Amino acid sequence: MPVVETSLVITNTVGLHLRPAGLLVQTAAQFQSKIVVQFGGKTANAKSIMGVMKLEVTVGSTILLRAEGEDAEQAIAALTDLARRNFDEEE
Amino acid sequence: MTVGLVIVSHSARLAEGVAELAGQMAHGKVAIAVAGGASEGGLGTSVEKILAALRQVDGPEGILVLLDLGSAVMATEMAVEVFVQASPHAVLISPAPLVEGAVIAAVEASVGNSLPEVAEAAASAYTLPKINSRS
Repeated sequence: MPVVETSLVITNTVGLHLRPAGLLVQTAAQFQSKIVVQFGGKTANAKSIMGVMKLEVTVGSTILLRAEGEDAEQAIAALTDLARRNFDEEE
Repeated sequence: MTVGLVIVSHSARLAEGVAELAGQMAHGKVAIAVAGGASEGGLGTSVEKILAALRQVDGPEGILVLLDLGSAVMATEMAVEVFVQASPHAVLISPAPLVEGAVIAAVEASVGNSLPEVAEAAASAYTLPKINSRS
C-alpha cells in the first residue's frame, strides 16, 4: 500500500480554523486512503472535523500530512494544492 | 444523499443565521431546514414548524435536529413523534450547542458520514477550543 507524506506550512490568515479545516476534511474525504494530520505532537484523522479542529493549527505552523492507500499520492497532491491556495481565503 | 439537518430556535432570525453559517460549511451538499419562532410569529417554538422542517429534509440517511435551548426539546419531541409515524427514516435530537453543533454536523454530513457519526461529532462540538489554548 503506497504511503505518501508531506509537510505543509499553513499560511492563510486564521490558521486551520473552522472553514479551512472543513475544506481540508471535505477534500480528504474524497479519497479512499487513510489520511492523518500531525501537529504539535498530536495526530488527527484528516476526515474528522473535530479531530482536525482540536489540533489548533495556527498561522505559520507546519503540519505533517500522511496518506496510506492506493490513492495516497492524489490525496496528498489535492491537500497540498488546497493549502497552497490558502484554502480559497479571500485576501 | 446526506444526513439532513433541522435547526430549531426560539427565534426565526437565529435559526436562519445558524442555517446560513452551517450552509456555508456544507457547500450546498447538505439539506438544512429551519424551524424558528412560534406558530403565530414572535419568540417561541412551534410543533408545526418543526414538523414541516423535518419533512423538508426527509431522506434515507436520516435527520439530526439541533436546538437553541432546552425548552425547545418538548416541541421537537412532539414533532418527531408525528414525523416518524409517516417516515421510515431515523431522527436524532442533538444535545450539542447550536452554533458549534450545526457547523460541525454540516461538515460531517457533507462528506457522507452516517447519522450516528454526524450526531457523535456534533455532540462533542462543545469541546472545540473557542480560544486557542496556546495563545
